[in-house]
Amino acid sequence: MNTTNSLKIFNLPDLGEGLPDAEIVRWLVKEGEKVELHQPMVEMETAKAVVEVPCPFAGTITKLHGQAGDVIDVGSALAEFDGDGSLRHEELPDKFELTESELAKSEVVTSEADSTLAQEISQQSAGQISANEVFNLPDLGEGLPDAEIVRWLVAEGQVLELHQPMVEMETAKAVVEVPSPFAAKVAKLHGQAGDVIEVGAPLVSFGESGVLSSSSAVVPPVKQDEPDDNKPADAATVVGAVQVGNKVVLESASAVIKALAKKLKVDLTQVSGSGNNGAITQSDVKLAKKEGKLLGTKKAVFTPVTSPNQLLNDENPLDFRASPAVRAHARRLNVALSQCAASGKKGTITKADVDGVSNTTSNAPASSSSAVVVSSQSASQSIVSKSVQASSEPQTVRGVRRAMAMGMSKSHATVVPTTLMEDADITGWSKQDSLTRYVRALVFASKIEPSLNCWFDGEKFERIVHLNVHVGLAIDSPDGLYVPVVHDADSKNAMQIRTRVQELRQKIESKGLKQEDQQGATITLSNFGSITGRYGSPVVSPPQVAILGTGRFRNELKLTDKGIENRKMLPLSLTFDHRACTGGEAARFLVAIIEDLQRAE
Amino acid sequence: MSAITLIEAVNMAIAHEMGIDQEVVVFGEDVGINGGVFRATDGLQEKFGKERVIDTPLAEAMIAGIAIGMAAQGMKPVAEIQFMGFIFPAADQIISHCARMRNRTRGRLTLPMVIRAPFGGGIHAPENHSESTEAIFAHIPGLKVVIPSNPSRAYGLMLAAIRDPDPVIFLEPKRVYRIEKHEIEDNGEDYPLGMCFVDREGTDITLISWGAMLHETKQAAEKLATDGISAEVIDVATVSPLDIDTILESVEKTGRACIVQEAPKAGAVGSEIAAEIAEKSLMSLLAPIGRVSGYDTVIPYYRLEKQYMPKVEHIVEEVKRLVEYR
Repeated sequence: MNTTNSLKIFNLPDLGEGLPDAEIVRWLVKEGEKVELHQPMVEMETAKAVVEVPCPFAGTITKLHGQAGDVIDVGSALAEFDGDGSLRHEELPDKFELTESELAKSEVVTSEADSTLAQEISQQSAGQISANEVFNLPDLGEGLPDAEIVRWLVAEGQVLELHQPMVEMETAKAVVEVPSPFAAKVAKLHGQAGDVIEVGAPLVSFGESGVLSSSSAVVPPVKQDEPDDNKPADAATVVGAVQVGNKVVLESASAVIKALAKKLKVDLTQVSGSGNNGAITQSDVKLAKKEGKLLGTKKAVFTPVTSPNQLLNDENPLDFRASPAVRAHARRLNVALSQCAASGKKGTITKADVDGVSNTTSNAPASSSSAVVVSSQSASQSIVSKSVQASSEPQTVRGVRRAMAMGMSKSHATVVPTTLMEDADITGWSKQDSLTRYVRALVFASKIEPSLNCWFDGEKFERIVHLNVHVGLAIDSPDGLYVPVVHDADSKNAMQIRTRVQELRQKIESKGLKQEDQQGATITLSNFGSITGRYGSPVVSPPQVAILGTGRFRNELKLTDKGIENRKMLPLSLTFDHRACTGGEAARFLVAIIEDLQRAE
Repeated sequence: MSAITLIEAVNMAIAHEMGIDQEVVVFGEDVGINGGVFRATDGLQEKFGKERVIDTPLAEAMIAGIAIGMAAQGMKPVAEIQFMGFIFPAADQIISHCARMRNRTRGRLTLPMVIRAPFGGGIHAPENHSESTEAIFAHIPGLKVVIPSNPSRAYGLMLAAIRDPDPVIFLEPKRVYRIEKHEIEDNGEDYPLGMCFVDREGTDITLISWGAMLHETKQAAEKLATDGISAEVIDVATVSPLDIDTILESVEKTGRACIVQEAPKAGAVGSEIAAEIAEKSLMSLLAPIGRVSGYDTVIPYYRLEKQYMPKVEHIVEEVKRLVEYR
């Protein structure tokens, strides 16, 4: 490829990846510039990396082939030099084309690192040795900043042949044998096994003759690995720098046993261990599986463990189910979760529950003192209460809600309430409006036992036993509790009662309930079962003396004459004012209610 | 019984299974004469012959395709993809065929095959050699994705993976290939697939990790203990299908969760775990779910790699934030 002694053409060598060409990124030298051997000449970009190509000669550049952006084929002319005579080895440019054969000689394992290395080496070797030449560590092919000496294959004072393996260097990617770039005598080895040499730093110094004195002391050609560096002998092709440790660590056997037991649904408390010191082994768990020592289908109950941190507070926050937002809300209001009701799903504390605690001082806990709901709506609809707007500020209670509060206080202050509970078997019912049945039962019972369909004046000790039955219906609304009245229920048929209830409900919705609609009740009905609740303790509203609460009906297995039967049971709660009625009267009244309700219709 | 590294445990498990099951075969790039770039298959060809330990051309799609064909005919191939970064030519075979074969044939054909691949960063490797892309396969129904964190688990889970009737992507955290040793008896005892391992019990927070990051996670737990914070540590081990019950049980006990992963944060296995916790254990959470992860960027080379990798300090810092959260 060289033409004359003085003019040399440098062709683009294979830059290490077997690619057919490379692109000029930028020239680092100019035409006419005097350059030194190894001076960076041009940056070439291959498919994989940008590579700096050093000058293969010292001399003057006479021509640069191509500009930045041009793609040069491997083997095509890249630059021309005018040799100044300082370089005598005209075979040098050809060396770049000898890459493959050098490769074979150097016995490098990873091909990627390999060709680049050989490349670099041959680039360095482009200079003939002059006295006391220093060979610097070339980039071994991955653009890494350094490499570690694994072991020296030569000793100081030894005379080397060209390409003779000199040292094993470990980069992040591979252990690479570095061949000698010269045929010369080693003057000095820079570093020992384990030392990290930076790219570009001296690796080996060469001397022309054997005149090396002090440093000619024998260096063992093969240094032993450091004792605690348990590098396997086969690390040769490991790609990258895998951290090596010699520490023997124990496997957490219990973690494995627990995982296996969980997978096989084995109850470990039933397994006896056959291992050392009675340890349970995997075989024990598998055997237990065969023997059927399984966990119940129930999810394992977990007992909260109290950590030292949690002991500082008197409650473990994990004893309570609450969303993070509710927990934060409770913290803001300084409410302890242990004080809150848990009205949400699966016993979750809701924001309203927190507010409930926060407001107890200002607001009467109305819901707990009265059973209040009459509704023919389905339970799921009426469950959603739209009345409560959560806020940490006190809210003044007005209107219907205030009337409720006053009425309840009066009841609490005067009435001596006693509640009697029993079930009615309503299996015989065909589909019908339960509310009208309840009203009808009250009418029936009032005829049998009139002393509960009665008004009582505790101050004058007077009572009025009513002839007619006016049934008050407790109806829950966003505004509070209404108790409108079905007057003369004893002279109304089912259809008429239903019509009146509809009318009252519409009036509540349209806020058109009149005074007279709410006056004159002689007895009250609270159908809280339309939402939920089995038994309750409904609150008597004076001057009345009785209130009937109807709970949510349920199916129940009953012992009957025919054996065990599935019966539909309606729970009843009758509260009466014991100042006005005897227990016997109340019980007879309840018997009459049940008798009427149990009629199959 | 001898003390061996994770990579030696992989080798021991494969050798064990080849010794007792003629259907087990190994192939991949450089797995035979060379013994694998990390020596996972060292000595296997000498022991079991060229018929059963086969060097393949550099063609990942073919490697996966051959494994599928063999497995469909009842063999138990253990194929190696030299680095997980090069698994993507095989992704079509793995995702479109391997993962679906049982479903496609309505259970007539199952594929008892294992695809091994070293993955993860921290070893100063070049491009495409350091990624943690387990989430890609964890997302695919029909694949089990298993990541051992220590030598014993590598041995037990590899045996289980080979014996499993369905395909297992077995990802080996190469950073910890040789970081520690376990005394392992070559007794052929496998570990349960699809289960988490609770490696440390605690009461204040649940640390959830897998693969190489478990080492940093355990160190963080040690350090936190000296600060009076009791951390439970869970090795997920099988990232798909997730043993979410064990995780939820722990989080409901501690009230806090922090996930530690090497992979980028977005769309990762950690994201799925966090979502499951939020979905199912919200009422037990005392703090947000924390995540310590790599960055949402290409994992850098050598010089910046250390900056990328999640470190013990990061975990400790995040745990303290969660424990002190009000």
